[in-house]
Amino acid sequence: MRAFIAIIRVTFSQTLRLRRAIGLLMLSGSAAGMYLLFMIASRRSAESAAWQREIAFETFIGMNIGVLMNIAVPVVTLIIATSVMGDERRDNTMSFLVLRPISRFTIGAAKVVAAFVEAFILTGIGTAAFGILVGIKIETFSYVVPLIVGTALATAAYAAIFVPLGYLLKRATLVGLTYVFIWENGIAAAVPALASLSPWRIGVSATAGLAPTDFFELVPADFALGSLSPGAGGALVKVLVLMALSAAFMSYILRRRDLAT
Amino acid sequence: MTVNPALVDDPTVEVTGVSKWFGQKVAVSDVTCSFGPGLTGLLGPNGAGKTTLLRMLTGLTLPSQGEVLVKGVLPRAKVERYRDIGFVPEESALYNTLTARDYVAYAATLTGLSDPGAAADRALETVELTDDAGREVGGFSKGMRQRTKVAAALVHDPEILVLDEPLNGTDPVQRAHLIKLFADLSAHGRTVIVSSHVLQEVERMTDRVIAIVDGKLAAAGDISAIRRAMSDIPYRVMVECDKPRDLAAALLLHNDAVSSVNITRDLIHLETTDLAALGTAVARQARALDVRLSKFAPVDESLESVFRYLVGGR
Repeated sequence: MRAFIAIIRVTFSQTLRLRRAIGLLMLSGSAAGMYLLFMIASRRSAESAAWQREIAFETFIGMNIGVLMNIAVPVVTLIIATSVMGDERRDNTMSFLVLRPISRFTIGAAKVVAAFVEAFILTGIGTAAFGILVGIKIETFSYVVPLIVGTALATAAYAAIFVPLGYLLKRATLVGLTYVFIWENGIAAAVPALASLSPWRIGVSATAGLAPTDFFELVPADFALGSLSPGAGGALVKVLVLMALSAAFMSYILRRRDLAT
Repeated sequence: MTVNPALVDDPTVEVTGVSKWFGQKVAVSDVTCSFGPGLTGLLGPNGAGKTTLLRMLTGLTLPSQGEVLVKGVLPRAKVERYRDIGFVPEESALYNTLTARDYVAYAATLTGLSDPGAAADRALETVELTDDAGREVGGFSKGMRQRTKVAAALVHDPEILVLDEPLNGTDPVQRAHLIKLFADLSAHGRTVIVSSHVLQEVERMTDRVIAIVDGKLAAAGDISAIRRAMSDIPYRVMVECDKPRDLAAALLLHNDAVSSVNITRDLIHLETTDLAALGTAVARQARALDVRLSKFAPVDESLESVFRYLVGGR
């Protein structure tokens, strides 16, 4: 356990650089920023209060899915998670790590958890800010926790995918962006049956499961969830399985392949 | 009793018929050797395959063919074996944001030591880095970085120490200290394997050498035997003077030690198997012909040429 925690701690110090963190925090906060602009623009609206609330709710859902879950969370996680292994390779520190009497699974699991925690610090702050602004506008903060849980699970699922990618590919960020925009925002978003293979949909299903019942009053469920059902428990199980598979895969390639240089 | 000089009687590391290729490039070709307690120098020019062989010894790289055993097992097959191995890679391999103490303590933690901080302090003291232990390694000189890596490799007191060009970038005082350290470790029964492309450096550390050239085992055993094998290698010497044609003709006519002559402008390129005799002859002929000498220098004394000769002679 000490080795597991030590790897996470050193991974933080290696990858969480100030300028990168500020840039990613801005990206993570893009949904909150855009919602703030919407709040300012709609302040002097002559529409009825009920109509304004409906627009505020629609904007909230649109930004949650279109900006936060489709762009900010995957891209922030991509950059952090690929560097968790990529920086070890760039700095030639992989040999330091693997020539120790610790199981390869421990290394893989620590790296996946480190990527998740580090990315979630950034995506979680952006999501919390977004949730609070939404709460101010629609006059209820009951969505803040569901949003944060959804972001946490999506971040964890993306971390599980991008950590091995960062180890295997030198152009992992480019390949990851292609994955985010072609698969996540294109194919998996268009085909409801593929929803269970899409981390952002898994995150949204957790948010929907925890949110008050009016979450889907304005948003068609198949648009937000595809073939998934709302529920945080199922989403959590899926993400934990994905993280375990990722650590096992890392363990396998560290045992079977020459060390990546 | 082992007869093959590449093998030792009580090996801790055994390399049997090992080859490694990357696509079309053969990095190591059918090398068989072993290492036991004491210090062994792994010699060879840059690009000879030393680093690939060392990486195979530690399990970082898998052989394409053959087998490497560390204390009887494949290093990757049992990660517990890494408790017995300390490795100093040639490349940087440092976490630049950590202090030297944190870096070495991290190594101690990953090795499962009960008091990583105390172990780190001891290891840093061994390499004389105590005063800089609190500084980030990113700001270290190359010599200090090398010593930090050595401290991290030593922190768990491994039985086998594999060091890839550990003296690179160190100043003469640090070098002398590290050489003494490696000698002390080997005297205490550790298996110490040190790679270098500098013959003189290895000569200061050990008598036992394994020489690799072009991925092949070029020579092994006692360093003086290898020295003797080198004695008939022709030296190439460059002489710069104001009358190169006159001097070259005289040297060819009156000196058996000169085996070939080539003139380009003011320069004479000579080949000889007897460097001392050639030096005397050049001085004598220059005096006799009233030639003004401005330079007399060996052109190619590199280890690479020496080892290529050894391999070529096989």
